[in-house]
Amino acid sequence: MKALLPRLYLVAIFTFVFAPIVTSMVFSFNSDRFPTVPLGGFTLHWYETAFARPEVWTAFGNSALVALSAAALSTALGFATAYTDFRYNFRWKPAYLALALLPPTVPLVIMGLAMLAWLGRLGLSGTLPGIVIAHTVMGAPFAMAICRLRLSQMDPSLEAAAWNLGASPMRAMRVVVLPFCMPALISAFCLTAAVSFDEFVVAWFVSGLNKTVPVMILEILQGNVDPQINAIGTVVFVTSMTLVIAAQLIILRKTSR
Amino acid sequence: MKDRTTAHALIWRLPLLIWQGLFFVGPLLLMVAMSFWLVKNYRMTPDFIFDNWERMLTRGYFWDAYRVTLWRATLAAVLASLIAFPASFALAFKLSETARRWALFFLVVPFFTSYLVRVYAWQVLLAESGPINAVLGWVGLGPFTMLNSGVGAMVGYLTLVLPLVVILQTFSLAAIDRNLIEAAWNLGASPRRTLLRVILPSAKVGLIVGAVFAFILAFGDFVSPFYLGGSKPPTLSILIIDTTKSGQQWPRAAVVAVMMIGTLFAVAFAAVGAAYGRRK
Amino acid sequence: MTDTDPLVRFDGVRKSYGDFEAVKGIDLTIGRGEFVAIMGPSGCGKTTTLRMLAGLEAPSAGDITIGGKRMNDVPPHERDTPLVWQSLALFPFLNVKENVEFGLKMRGVSDTEAHGRAMLWLERMGLKGFEKRRVDELSGGQRQRVALARSLVTEPQMLLLDEPLSALDAHLVIRMQGVLTRLQRELGITFVYVTHSQSEAFAMADRVVIMGQGEIAQVGAPRDIFRAPRTRFVAEFVGRNNILPGAGGGEISVAADRMTVSDVAPGGTAIEAAFLSEEFAGTGIICYFEDASGRELKAQVSEAELERLSLEPGAKVWLSWPDEAAHPLEPKSIDE
Repeated sequence: MKALLPRLYLVAIFTFVFAPIVTSMVFSFNSDRFPTVPLGGFTLHWYETAFARPEVWTAFGNSALVALSAAALSTALGFATAYTDFRYNFRWKPAYLALALLPPTVPLVIMGLAMLAWLGRLGLSGTLPGIVIAHTVMGAPFAMAICRLRLSQMDPSLEAAAWNLGASPMRAMRVVVLPFCMPALISAFCLTAAVSFDEFVVAWFVSGLNKTVPVMILEILQGNVDPQINAIGTVVFVTSMTLVIAAQLIILRKTSR
Repeated sequence: MKDRTTAHALIWRLPLLIWQGLFFVGPLLLMVAMSFWLVKNYRMTPDFIFDNWERMLTRGYFWDAYRVTLWRATLAAVLASLIAFPASFALAFKLSETARRWALFFLVVPFFTSYLVRVYAWQVLLAESGPINAVLGWVGLGPFTMLNSGVGAMVGYLTLVLPLVVILQTFSLAAIDRNLIEAAWNLGASPRRTLLRVILPSAKVGLIVGAVFAFILAFGDFVSPFYLGGSKPPTLSILIIDTTKSGQQWPRAAVVAVMMIGTLFAVAFAAVGAAYGRRK
Repeated sequence: MTDTDPLVRFDGVRKSYGDFEAVKGIDLTIGRGEFVAIMGPSGCGKTTTLRMLAGLEAPSAGDITIGGKRMNDVPPHERDTPLVWQSLALFPFLNVKENVEFGLKMRGVSDTEAHGRAMLWLERMGLKGFEKRRVDELSGGQRQRVALARSLVTEPQMLLLDEPLSALDAHLVIRMQGVLTRLQRELGITFVYVTHSQSEAFAMADRVVIMGQGEIAQVGAPRDIFRAPRTRFVAEFVGRNNILPGAGGGEISVAADRMTVSDVAPGGTAIEAAFLSEEFAGTGIICYFEDASGRELKAQVSEAELERLSLEPGAKVWLSWPDEAAHPLEPKSIDE
């Protein structure tokens, strides 16, 4: 009984956090254009309208392409960095790690502006590779953190044991370190893909005509109230959560060994 | 062979240096440089002039935006910390291990839902004729104007930062050695004194980190002030977007960005000082 | 045997990390088929020495030769120096057989041959029927044997062991000591065994190398080191020795089992000391005493003797030793 008050408070906090998420899902099936309570009837209208538009499909295609590419690059980069931190000591290591972990602290608007200017110079502004580059910069620190956590669970002798048994450093990487880190690599891939799939600020700055899903949502949002956003948002949510839960399950299953 | 920089070492070390150098440090340095460029007839030319700086820093609207952004981010950090603390406390001390893990999992979920969609949902919820006012109307209250005001923006900021602050606070509270708390009880400290003298100082770093992250996120966010706060007065991030998207005034946007980064650095340093300063 | 055709030779080998010198110039030869234990307190440089032999660390100065070939710059994977790790370092994502096959696969042995040789070694180590198990499903002793099989399956001429028994329970340690000595005799290959435990080293090795602070303090057969420690450091490290002032001003060491305890003053050299406590050790009872200057003394006595003396704490007795049991200690290590 003593714990009742704290529990009520927690319920209130979770209500606040989940109110917009649940609202958006509920109203994606609600027939009223200007939603209020009591709810209108159940409808799939908003899904039908949204997904009848070819540009929505294009946007989903762009998003998927960008997310998968950025996730692959982020994971590779994050792993290489985590491995460097795990195995080597060198003079400028604190600066090296700062460089690796700093990107998430830069406000997205600033990142967007800087990327826009820089990619413009490289002739990559307004292209999907441009978005991939930006999202890789932002995703690599997360991938690095996940891989580093896994490496810290690895017996440092394991890699040396492979060398000792005749594996060259590169071969040892392939047959020992990478297999050991596989769960982390998969979950890093899923998480960075989810991050990229949701990111809209930098993508908005650099995307030009090649819009991703969140950029399109942003542009619909600039217009009038439109429950299509709820429908698209729900699909995005389900996609991201699938990636996240898949990542979580893989970590749990593989690391419980 | 840790004392030799081998080829193997370089193969794994260089990718980050090259990539982040090329696509993180490079863009930011270019942006700083750009703030000194010349804009003439809607064209930028590399230069080293203080025009943009002068033009931005002598304008009242820049400083209005600066004050509003600073104030709102501070308020968001303080409010988020205060609102989160009882929840974090309950999560860390009152819940079972399993319940805590589930709660933390559900706090991570929002990070993977579109912030835009959540803000849109708040637009719907907070509208004059929206569900909240409808419910309040049944009990004879309202309607209240919540959208396009500081209140609306603050709801948005809290949506963005609250889960993160709760997570960070919970971790730092859960990491406190239980024996320490029991020792304080055992020595006759009241719950209030235990909280003030033992728990808060022990969790200080986590609490400050939580507040700083809330500040950084709110400081840079443009979605909440724009779609829930009505963009009047504009914040620095809105100023950057307006300046960038309306033609070639990128150098002036760069000035705003550099000012923002400077502010964030100052806040981060002050926070590190506060977190590690007095107690060693 | 050791000097005419040594398998391993260390020539003035040094290893430093920045300002810290882990190994300060050691000279050592290890013969074919020899069981050598390198022993010393933690931080004495014994593990660094072993790692240099495996190529995991490069010497900062001096030469290491194996079979007459200078090995300084040969990377670990091009050496034939399998190591049994303190942590065992079994690959957790491979099963028992795959672990044992690993070294063969890396050397390009065909799958069928690797399978056959791995199975042979698993049988030899009493692990038949476990080949499909995951390594974390095995007991400590079984894992130990997998690690041995994994290292020996490639038929090396030398096996390195880095405190391999330190994680095992006491009763398993004795059993594994038996397994190791038997293996070494049967295979006739060189074992280089690093440990901080003198009981392990003295029980198994033909020759013991005692290291302290990056230097070799003494090399010799276990019995010689125990009977005649050359320096105070060795005497203290080996334990069960009394360090006493010698006749000529230096120090001497006397093994605890050469001390005689008597309740009356004997003729000749003797020290009066007060009884402190007793400790039962495998072969007898170690009694601890303290002399007037506060120096601790030890003597090994039989149970019958202890009963006859019926010592109470604080009781004064005389400790004496035959002259031939006293070994002078060098003032300082000569391996400077």
